[in-house]
Amino acid sequence: MTRKSLRLSPYVLLRGCISLCVTLGVCLVCQAAKPGSSDLVAAPGSRVTPRKFELDIQPILTARGCNAGACHGKARGQNGFALSLLGFDADTDYKAMVLESRGRRLSFINPSASLLLEKATGQIPHGGGVRFTKADQDYQLIVDWIKSGAARTSDADPKLVSIDVLPSEHSLAPEETESLKVTATYSDGSARDVTRMCAFQSNEPAIVAVGADGIVKAGKLAGEATIMARYMGKIATWSAAIPLPEAIASDRYAELPRSNFIDDLVISKLSSLNIFPSKPCSESQFLRRLYIDAIGRIPTAEEVREYLNDSEPDRRSRWVLKVLDRPEYADYWANKWADLLRPNPYRVGIKATYSLDAWLRDAFRKNLPYDQFVRQLVTAQGSTWRNGAVTIFRDRRQPEEITTMISQLFLGVRLECAKCHQHPFEVYGQADFYGMAAHFARVGYKGTGLSPPISGGEEIIFVKTKGEVRHPLTSQPLQPTTLFGEPKEVAADHDPRGALADWMISADNPFFAQVAANRLWAEVMGLGIVDPVDDLRATNPASNQALLTALADYFRSIQYDNKKFLFTIFTSQTYSLSSQPNDSNALDSRNYSRHYRKRLRAEVLADAITDITGKSEDYEGMPKGMRAMQLWTLRTNSELLDTFGRPDENQDPPCERESSATMTQTLHLMNAAHIQKRIASDDGYCSRLASSDRSTEAIIEELYLTVFNRMPNLNEVEDLKSEFERPEVDRRRVVEDLVWALLNSPEFLYLD
Amino acid sequence: MDRRGTLKLGLAGLAGGSFFDLLALRKAAAKEADSSSAAYSNCILIWLDGGPSHLETFDMKPEAPVEIRGEFKPIKTNVPGIEICEHLPKLAKIADKYTLIRSVCHNQGNHGAGNHYMMTGAPPRIPVGCGAFVSFHPSLGSVAAFERQAPHGLPSYFSMPQISRSGGPNFLGGKYAPFVVANDPNSDKFQVRDVELPRELSDDHFQSRRDLRGLVDRLPRYTDPRVSDPVLAYDQNFQQGIDLVMTPEAQRAFDIHEEPDKIREEYGRNSFGQRALLARRLVEAGVPFVTLYHGGWDDHSDIFGALQKRLPPWDQTVAALISDLEQRGMLETTMVIALGEFGRTPKLSTLAGKSKAGRDHWANAMSILFAGGGRHGGQVIGATDRLGHAAIERILTPENYVSTIYRKLGIDPGKIYYTPAGRPTHLVSDPTCIPELM
Repeated sequence: MTRKSLRLSPYVLLRGCISLCVTLGVCLVCQAAKPGSSDLVAAPGSRVTPRKFELDIQPILTARGCNAGACHGKARGQNGFALSLLGFDADTDYKAMVLESRGRRLSFINPSASLLLEKATGQIPHGGGVRFTKADQDYQLIVDWIKSGAARTSDADPKLVSIDVLPSEHSLAPEETESLKVTATYSDGSARDVTRMCAFQSNEPAIVAVGADGIVKAGKLAGEATIMARYMGKIATWSAAIPLPEAIASDRYAELPRSNFIDDLVISKLSSLNIFPSKPCSESQFLRRLYIDAIGRIPTAEEVREYLNDSEPDRRSRWVLKVLDRPEYADYWANKWADLLRPNPYRVGIKATYSLDAWLRDAFRKNLPYDQFVRQLVTAQGSTWRNGAVTIFRDRRQPEEITTMISQLFLGVRLECAKCHQHPFEVYGQADFYGMAAHFARVGYKGTGLSPPISGGEEIIFVKTKGEVRHPLTSQPLQPTTLFGEPKEVAADHDPRGALADWMISADNPFFAQVAANRLWAEVMGLGIVDPVDDLRATNPASNQALLTALADYFRSIQYDNKKFLFTIFTSQTYSLSSQPNDSNALDSRNYSRHYRKRLRAEVLADAITDITGKSEDYEGMPKGMRAMQLWTLRTNSELLDTFGRPDENQDPPCERESSATMTQTLHLMNAAHIQKRIASDDGYCSRLASSDRSTEAIIEELYLTVFNRMPNLNEVEDLKSEFERPEVDRRRVVEDLVWALLNSPEFLYLD
Repeated sequence: MDRRGTLKLGLAGLAGGSFFDLLALRKAAAKEADSSSAAYSNCILIWLDGGPSHLETFDMKPEAPVEIRGEFKPIKTNVPGIEICEHLPKLAKIADKYTLIRSVCHNQGNHGAGNHYMMTGAPPRIPVGCGAFVSFHPSLGSVAAFERQAPHGLPSYFSMPQISRSGGPNFLGGKYAPFVVANDPNSDKFQVRDVELPRELSDDHFQSRRDLRGLVDRLPRYTDPRVSDPVLAYDQNFQQGIDLVMTPEAQRAFDIHEEPDKIREEYGRNSFGQRALLARRLVEAGVPFVTLYHGGWDDHSDIFGALQKRLPPWDQTVAALISDLEQRGMLETTMVIALGEFGRTPKLSTLAGKSKAGRDHWANAMSILFAGGGRHGGQVIGATDRLGHAAIERILTPENYVSTIYRKLGIDPGKIYYTPAGRPTHLVSDPTCIPELM
């Protein structure tokens, strides 16, 4: 995240609308008040007057930003005037406007003297500024509505059923414009054009921008974008692709090598955009990627040599299997999952943290199928000292807390918003949230609870026979209800969480396999097909839905075998494309037409430096020689890990890992005393190599294999040989300097 | 002249001249910093973790019953009418240089929550444990780093010797985390990690490493901006890093050994004293925000014994820092603020198993020392009742306090930030500053 983009960049604005728990983010959508004239076109024969609150007035409040999250839509309102966020609760809004504050907001005797209108037009001071003028049709509409008695809709009145965007989706030429028209359909069959009152948002404004008037404009560049239109809680999307202008002959695509369905689906998507993939990467690049992406460590010089000299058939697939079988596999993937599940040890206690870590490592050691992994977590019972899976319940003690976590991690549904109000970009409301939460209403606790900062005691998590979750507004107890499901009675001797887990992992669940496949894909490919990986919804479309569906189906068909799934990705041609862009794919950042470079993760980097220098970074309170990937708590001092970013478990929500490069990182590699000491150590790698009887060429080769994991080319050997021949420096110093130089080169720090 | 050469000269020959050099450096810093921010103050935040007792420091209650007023006596300061604790004699002599705020209060009575509120201006969103180390909002220092840039590639936010609780960047991201200087500047071997070359490496040696790196770094760069090659950002950082390491001006900010012994003695030859001196050097070089973490103020028992030992050296350092800044003409543009997460219970109590009395957590009252930043001192803002229980005059919130600092840093406290998820967040929910300080 750059400094600039954290301000009000369009990108962030956009993310505001299409991304996770934006309780308030919605205001971004509607703060941009809309100019333009009102022409509510009523279908012939449909209702015209008198104006009704839900049909005519609430949309104005939304379109003009009155009920936005930063204004009167925030939980406590603004200056005593509180509206529901984006108008999801008409009762509240009507009360607030018409009845509350002794009715002073509207004047029935003289409607234009209504406080509401005087404020909105800026006739009297208004913190939110002028929202519309007296000349606006919205103004007249509200006046008419007050005049006619400020009526609400009755049961007889039509209800909003859906909205649709026209014309149908199609591809656009660069800089082409298109006017979107949004039509609202009502229960009486009537329809009206609500384009003017909609909020529009593009997920890629640089590719296809959209104005407040619904006019879409393609940018100069090729790409894809989805436009979201929102009107009174209804959402419609409109996707457009701008293919590159120069068509690529289909036989060029047909000639591309393909290993499995991944390649077919990636290539088919690329061909629709006239993008051609990069060339394959080199064999040594492939091996380096495989080691780092599968087990989080770099290969040794010996392993690179062995691979490059392997001339037996099926070299790649044999090596993929071999690497996946390494013990480091479990540590690497447990470390990734710990990022998502590991609590703050100050809060839950060090023992519970440790046992969760042990549980995770064990699960990946056994290659526990992913659905079983999730089931065991969601239904965990027992002692925090013995069954690490229960630690998540010790940490998240309220049904609400565990619900948001589980729905986001395993279903890709961000329910957080629905805890307090209707989800602004989704169909979920409070009943859905608390219906899900009700599955956790009977989680029982025995033993010693939390007493930070030590929290040392043992706690038993068990299933009680009673317990309920109530709807926060109606106070009605809610039965456990899965998303889109019916309320279920769960017998007193059954665990409601079991029913939830069954539903989550069942083949009918629309989210489970997709989120799982997307997460694994993203870990390896550097970017999810849906990004962020755990935010699946219509308004955050996949870059290649066919691929995501196929991956999900495949993952389910192999009984959620993680290693098998990874094998399929690693052996695809798509995985081993070069990062070198060609004329057609430089702009591609989402369709996997080339390898996307990424910086080594903090732990991978720490262990790589250990492997290269032959000297470990010793961690306080941990056994000597422990690898960074084996650390089970973030409460271990390490300047390197801190500098290169590990999640901050004190943060809420726990911060995602920083993958950006900072100057302190380059400084650390350049100058850190511990790295310098390890390079210069008398019993380290450099000193051993320098004192060996190898020739200069052999030493150079060894260094390249060890740090860059590739053979040096002839020029490189030639150029470096002279460094060894300088009379004033000894061999050991050249080796040390060379290791420093290699470690400080991006070829080491980045996975190319 | 190479980097070491300058440093050597600075050490040996420029005992008197170093002051001019630093002034020149400050000018360069001002020039290089965003021109609009040059007029704004920098901040040295002295964080007294644990919560210092207001009754034993800046808000004494000599008229109160003995179980409240405690063992210490007030003394007069150089400002008629203002009295502070007898164990703060040096600060008593310069009370005209700082303001005491006695009426900031809040309702977060445990360390985790109190730290968060006072360090970020936002109360924790959910109840947090006492020992917790939490972050829901960016800290003062991280916001300063985000909004203001130090010159010469210097980090913009330092924290010494550790990050304070809730002192992190939260959603602003790791780039704005404090640069922690953990080692002890009181040690002869003191060196700031990473920003200086390892001691055993000469400039020539480093130069030959860089040359070697030039030979081996052959990874192709994709300069087409559409590719968004992350290596380009890395290159930029690398160059900036080299600049920092090789710029004598920046390096000198870290070289506390350059300070004359007299100054070093004045600050106190202890870790905290020398950290304060280093903080001054950093601010002098243009760093906008430095936190000096000073722990151990959680005096539940034996408060008098502990403070008798803790206060005098602390008094010496803080008084020296304020005086030194003033003599250098820097107090106008440097805030020095000392506070903890809350005050302490007016009524003394003895914990079970302890023999000597202490005071417990008390967020209804606390004292803040606020010096510099363009407003002259010698004033007291607000007051607590006669027993020190609660603020009763000019009641102020942590939001008011934090907003004041932001305003002086040149940052609009009413600003709305957007989290990476797009959620708008008020920098401070109530951006009203404390007018007496403006």
